Amino acid sequence: MIWLTWRQHRAQALAILIGLGAIGVFSLVTGPRIAAAFRELHACLVVPGQDCGLLHESFDRRFSGLQFVIPLYMVVPLLMGVFLGAPLIAREVEQGTHRLAWTQTVTRGRWALTKIGLVGAFTVAAAALFAWIVTIWSAPLVAASGQRFGFGVFDLRGIVPIAYAVFAVALGTAIGASIRKTLPAMAVTLAAFAAVRVVVELLLRPRYLPSQTISYSFLQDSPRAGLGDWVITSRVFDPTGRFVSPDGGIHINPTDLAHACPGIGGGLPGKDEVGRCLSQLGVRIVDTYQPGSRFWLFQGIESAIFVALAVGLVVLSMWLIRRRIS
Amino acid sequence: MNTIALEASSLGRRYGGTWALRDCSLSLPTARVIALVGPNGAGKTTLLHLATGLLQPTSGTIRVLGEQPGANPEILARVGFVAQDMPLYRSFTVAEMLRFGEELNPAWDRQLAVSRLESLSIPLSQKVGTLSGGQRGQVSLAVALAKRPDLLLLDEPLAALDPLARRDFLAALMESVADHGVSVVLSSHLVSDLERVCDHLVVLRSGRVAVDGDIAGLVRTHRLVSGPRHTGPLGGVGEVIDRTDTDRQTVALVRTVGHVLDPAWTVREVDLEEIVLGYLGAREGSNAQADPTLRAVRPAPSEVGS
Repeated sequence: MIWLTWRQHRAQALAILIGLGAIGVFSLVTGPRIAAAFRELHACLVVPGQDCGLLHESFDRRFSGLQFVIPLYMVVPLLMGVFLGAPLIAREVEQGTHRLAWTQTVTRGRWALTKIGLVGAFTVAAAALFAWIVTIWSAPLVAASGQRFGFGVFDLRGIVPIAYAVFAVALGTAIGASIRKTLPAMAVTLAAFAAVRVVVELLLRPRYLPSQTISYSFLQDSPRAGLGDWVITSRVFDPTGRFVSPDGGIHINPTDLAHACPGIGGGLPGKDEVGRCLSQLGVRIVDTYQPGSRFWLFQGIESAIFVALAVGLVVLSMWLIRRRIS
Repeated sequence: MNTIALEASSLGRRYGGTWALRDCSLSLPTARVIALVGPNGAGKTTLLHLATGLLQPTSGTIRVLGEQPGANPEILARVGFVAQDMPLYRSFTVAEMLRFGEELNPAWDRQLAVSRLESLSIPLSQKVGTLSGGQRGQVSLAVALAKRPDLLLLDEPLAALDPLARRDFLAALMESVADHGVSVVLSSHLVSDLERVCDHLVVLRSGRVAVDGDIAGLVRTHRLVSGPRHTGPLGGVGEVIDRTDTDRQTVALVRTVGHVLDPAWTVREVDLEEIVLGYLGAREGSNAQADPTLRAVRPAPSEVGS
């Protein structure tokens, strides 16, 4: 069975390894330059009170072009589900070879478990390698931006890419076992994976733990700046209600402003003057956030969700194979 | 030693609301080559899939070689199967197909498979997808035989083959029956090919068993009788299987009990194909129970020899 599984899926395995090799080479070529530039920036940042704004800006400008890899890397687990998971059972049934395999001296339960187990193990190994490369390569970029929870950052680093890939392959397998046609199974896998990821990312992830709230006066930096928090909402509150728009943003009418702070000069007031005025009026910013220290906890929770879904899908696939396919 | 290859009792299988096989009771002996005949949709594939354990029955029971089909590796090892259209892994070479058999079957007889394919000049290095239909059939058969099964089930193995390949396939099959004493059940909607190789016949029609018996016995006890138009019951025969009444003539396939003595009838022997066609052409409902004029007639003393 091990030889058969290898022989049937070696082409896909090879394609995935070539893809990983390409990502590895790209990371080796670009990684050292990013790391060197970041060391320079970091050397500035560690000196208290030093203004590193220009250096930071040039760092960002220099490497912002690399964002093109985010969508490419985001689909890696999906591709594994579509090309490794969906055809796993569907192609056998489509070509009738499941009847050949199931009438040898191997029960179909063992046949299915061996296939799913080996392909699953390969998925874990390949996805772990992928996540490891991306995590190391992107570390300076993430450290410079301070955004660990952002779209395309949280999703590509740590352990969640492994869980996504395992889920994608299990999803493809189960959809293939129920649709039993390779191409439709691939298409449905693509759509279903995207739907689940979007729902979890937008609806569940911000709620894994109750968010915390911090309030600070307008024009100040958040006291939690630099802690890598995931700021979910940031809204302005004003005891007078005059400058706050319904959406929580701020709306400044120069006449109102002059009225509220008579000291303010005529014409267009400067940014600092506006800030001072608003601070005097008691305008505050209220952030709801998930602390940056919860990064690994959130990685663990999200991974557990996708692994649990994957286990359920494997159980479903086994049931379909044993009871519904002939 | 079990002498029953396949035993079914009130076996039925339903797909949605349609019964593909219904109330099927059979007892097929070992060491035979059994033809399973019926038109498309008669339930042949369903019966074979039930016998391999690919399908589970909706009702009734089925046993192959005394055991529940597909339940464990032991019974899987003893039953060989070649599915309809002879599925093989198209991207594999012939040698890899043999490796497949070797990996999945502890009792694999590599020598048997290799020598069969060599004698047929099928190169082991060739991709399965590039083989002719006849060659693919031979590879399928070699894989099924090298498993060394006690019972070999073949689903429409001849359908995709041209006449020459058909002859070669049957020759190869017969050779291994002679060499290894394997019992064979072979389904087909073609009867003519089977007459030379099979010694037992099962006819399925609309999901039910229409006839089941030893071919020599069936040929011995069936006759085609014809004579002037006769609308009443036919006397002096065991059972009327199929009957055609035209304006001038009555022709009927009958099962005899002894000789047909009525001099009004021309009696002639029948071949397997005529028997099969007779049973397939018979009206719905097991032989005429729905139609009183075709009721099976036991010979009344006054009619015999009148």
